[in-house]
Order: sequence, then C-alpha cells, then structure tokens
Amino acid sequence: MKKNLKYAFILLSICAVCAFALGYTNSITEPVIARQELEKKTRALEAVSNGWTIGEQESVESVPYVVYSLPLTEGDATTGYIVGLKGSGYGGELTLVASYTLDGKMLFAQMLANSETPGLGKKSELKGYMDKFVGTGATKPVPTTKDMLNSSDAAAVSGSSVTFMAVGKAIRGGSDYVKTLGGSK
Amino acid sequence: MKGNHMKELTKGFFEQNPVFIVVLGLCPVLGVSTQVSNAIGMSAGVFFVLLFSNIIISLLRKVIPASIHIPAYIVVIASLVTVTEMVMHAFVPAVYSALGVYLPLIVVNCIILGRAEAFASKNTPLDSALDAIGMSIGFAMGITLIAFIRELFGSGTITLFPVGGFSGVINIPWFYDNPVRVMALAPGALLLMGYLKAFFDWKSSRKKGK
Repeated sequence: MKKNLKYAFILLSICAVCAFALGYTNSITEPVIARQELEKKTRALEAVSNGWTIGEQESVESVPYVVYSLPLTEGDATTGYIVGLKGSGYGGELTLVASYTLDGKMLFAQMLANSETPGLGKKSELKGYMDKFVGTGATKPVPTTKDMLNSSDAAAVSGSSVTFMAVGKAIRGGSDYVKTLGGSK
Repeated sequence: MKGNHMKELTKGFFEQNPVFIVVLGLCPVLGVSTQVSNAIGMSAGVFFVLLFSNIIISLLRKVIPASIHIPAYIVVIASLVTVTEMVMHAFVPAVYSALGVYLPLIVVNCIILGRAEAFASKNTPLDSALDAIGMSIGFAMGITLIAFIRELFGSGTITLFPVGGFSGVINIPWFYDNPVRVMALAPGALLLMGYLKAFFDWKSSRKKGK
C-alpha cells in the first residue's frame, strides 16, 4: 500500500511539472497561433472573393460540410457567397474556404487547416490543386472520385484519394448550400 | 574519460546509426522523407525531444522506480513533443504544416523511448546528452539522405526553406523532366530503404571482417 502510494506520488509529481510546463508554453504560443490563423483566414477570404466585397460572417448549423458563410456583393447586388467548409481527410478534419456564384458554381477555393500526409494529401495546399473543382457545382458535377477526372488530374491526386474525396465532398456540400440561398439573403 | 564521451557522441553517426543499423523510427523516416525540408524539420523536432528527454530521464533515473518507468518516460516524452509542436506551430508554421501528423507521432518514435530505456536511465546527464546529440545527428543523416534521393528521383527537385527571394525549391535539370514517380510514393520509400539498409549492412560486415 505504502509502495503504491509512493509510486502514485512520483507519477503525480512528474505529471504536475509537465502540466505546468505545457500550460506555460501554451500561454506564450496560443496568442501567436490565434493571430496567424486569423491572418491566414483573412488572406484566404481575400484570395477567393473574386474582387467582390466580403460581407459579415454568419454561422451555419446542421448543414453537412458547411460551417459558416459570407455574402459577396458588388454594389448593392449579392453576387455570390464564400462558404467555410470542413471535411474528413486521411489525417482527420480539414477546413477550407470556397467561393460560389449564386447558382452554386465554384469560383475559387483554398485549404486552411489540415493534418494530411506530407507529400500526398498535403498537396491539397498547393496552388493549382483546387483548379480541378473550378467551374463545377452548377451545370458540371463536382468531382469527388478520381474516375471523374481526366488522366493527368487523376495522376496528380494519386496516393491521396481520401483527401481528394474529402475536399470534393466539402465543395459539393458548399455548392448545394449556396443553391438553397439563391441570392435572396 | 574524454575518449568515452567522444564515443558516446559519435556512435550514433555510423556504428549504431538509428535508421540504417538499429532500424528505429522508420515510420517518420518513410513517411516524411518526400522532401528534404521535411526531413530537416523532423530532424530538428527529434533532436529537441531526444536531447531533453534523455537529460530529464537521466536526472530522474534514481527517482523513478523500475515498475513505473515506462509511464513516467511516456509522460515526459509526450510533454516534450507537445511543447515542440506548440512552438513549431507558433514560430515556424510552414515546417509545422509540412510535418503534419508525423510531428505528434514523435511520441511513439522508438528512438526516443529506446534511448531513454537503454541509455539515459543508466547513465549520467552528460553522457545521455551526448548520446542524444549523436543519435539525432545519425537520424538526421539517415532521413535526409533518403529524402534527398527520393525527392531528386521522384520530383527532380530539392526543397529547402524559402529565404528572401529564394522560393526554397531547386529544380534539377533532367531529373525534373524525367521524374520516377514511384520514388515519391510509399513503395519507393520502402525500396530505397531496403537498398540502403543492404548497403550499410555490407559496409559494416566488411568492417567487421577487417
């Protein structure tokens, strides 16, 4: 009994010191990380806005893949939406933003956070990866499997089918959501 | 005495190289070695965690009883990895992003727990620190060599870190136009690892023969 209590005390002490070290490190790094995330999101919104004015962010609940949306306007007219999306990739949740015209056609998309495999799913962060989805969602279906791509695009996503499927389904979810808004918002 | 310290430092370079001779930590070696910059980032993470875990475990070697040493080591190692992850996320986000899931997986990297168990728990903090430095350099050499060959043949590029106007990516003529795609994928990593392991085994057996 006494021995077990001693062991418990030793482990507790080690855990307490580690918890303090982690808390202290977090207090230093957390504000820096939060600022970077905000800057990254702001840059991504600007990049996908198509030069239109970005409106106020609204949270979206109970819609698959969609987390929030922001209207895009030109003058007084609503021209489209930016939608914050989430998907389930190979390394867990991934988040991205995509812009759409009112009929659900995707204009631009950019990856935000993800834990995909370096060299494979991480390619989704590269410039040009999202080009496979541009112009889809309205009359053209959003590709969600490699079979829906031409041979060179399919080769480019080789080895990262799960990531590609996650991005495709999220973009399709965003397109479906924008179609329900219909520019009336 | 000085010679002993030197031996602790240098044994990890070739004689007990963690990648090619001891064959530890292969998960990140095969997973991250698609680009040279990833290999360097992973090496830096392993260096920090291995150095501090070896020093802390060596300092605590008389305090931690044998029956609870594994959970105690794991708590120390997991905390150091989390600290590394938070610091990299805040101050080198590009490397943090490139390493992805492999950064938290340093917790289960056999080199870290292996050195804690086999060396740091039985030796002084100085020797443990030297062992950590030597093993980290050996790991860095192994993973960087594999990444260099894989990236050169698989993509025809060498990716370093962007500095000023330099994008960080060097395109290698001929290789860039004729990439061997399999080298960038998992089978290429396994094939290359097999050939390099055979080469190092041949080298060490020749040395023993002499």
